[in-house]
Amino acid sequence: MTMTPRLRKFALTTHVTSSVGWLGAVAVFLALAIAGMTGQDAQLMRAAYLAMELTTWTVILPLALLSLLSGVVSSLGTNWGLFRYYWVLLKLLITILATIVLLVHMQPIDLLAGVAAKTTVFRADLQSLQLLMVTGSSAALVVLIVLTVLSVYKPRGMTQYGQRRQRAMLREAIVQQR
Amino acid sequence: MTDLVSDPDPKGDNPFDSRRPPHQGLTASTPRWVKVFGTVMVVLVLVFVALHLTGHGLGGHTTIRSAAQQP
Repeated sequence: MTMTPRLRKFALTTHVTSSVGWLGAVAVFLALAIAGMTGQDAQLMRAAYLAMELTTWTVILPLALLSLLSGVVSSLGTNWGLFRYYWVLLKLLITILATIVLLVHMQPIDLLAGVAAKTTVFRADLQSLQLLMVTGSSAALVVLIVLTVLSVYKPRGMTQYGQRRQRAMLREAIVQQR
Repeated sequence: MTDLVSDPDPKGDNPFDSRRPPHQGLTASTPRWVKVFGTVMVVLVLVFVALHLTGHGLGGHTTIRSAAQQP
C-alpha cells in the first residue's frame, strides 16, 4: 500500500508535529513537576499540579496517541514499511511502551492534582509521588529524544522480513522485465 | 549550477523525507547498533518492571493506594 505524495506529506507532517509536540509538552510537564516538588510557594505548587493534570489529559496523551497512529500510517503508506527496518521497528516498540507507561502514570497525576485542588498542604507520604513525577517525566524526555535521534539518523539495517520482501520485489521486477 | 531536476536528498539525509528508504544489502546480518540498543532496552525495561514490582520504583506506586484512601 503506497500513499499518494500529498497524503504522504500530510501523514508525515502530522507525525512530526505530534512527536515534537509530545516532546515539548513533556519538557513543560518536567518543569512543572520540579516546581511542584521544590517550590516554597504553596499557591505555585497547587497551580503546578493542576496544570500538570490538565496538560497530561489535553495535550500529552492526545499527542502520544496521534504520534503512534500517524507513525504507523506513515510507515505503512511508504516503502519504509512497519517491520522492514530496525529503526522503524524500534521506534514503534518504544512509542507503544512509552504510551503504556504514560497511561499507567495517569493515576498518580490525577491524585496529586486532586490533593492540590483541596488543600495547599502536601502530606509527607505524597513526596514519593512528587518525586515520581520528576523522575518519570525526565525518563520520558530521554526516551522521546532517543526517538527523535532514530528518526533523524535512520541507522542502517534491514530486518529478516524486510530482506525477504526486498528479494521478492526484485524477483517480481525481473519477471516483469522478461 | 544547481540541478533543479535531480533528487534534492540523494543520500536520504533529510530527516523529514520518507519518500524512499536507502538501498540495503540483501543478506545483511543484524547490525551491531541494533544488538546494543536492543540489549540496553531490554535491561532498562527489566529494571523498571523489577523496581516497580518490588515497591522500589522511582517514587513508588504503593503510595497511591494509601494516599488515595486518606482525606
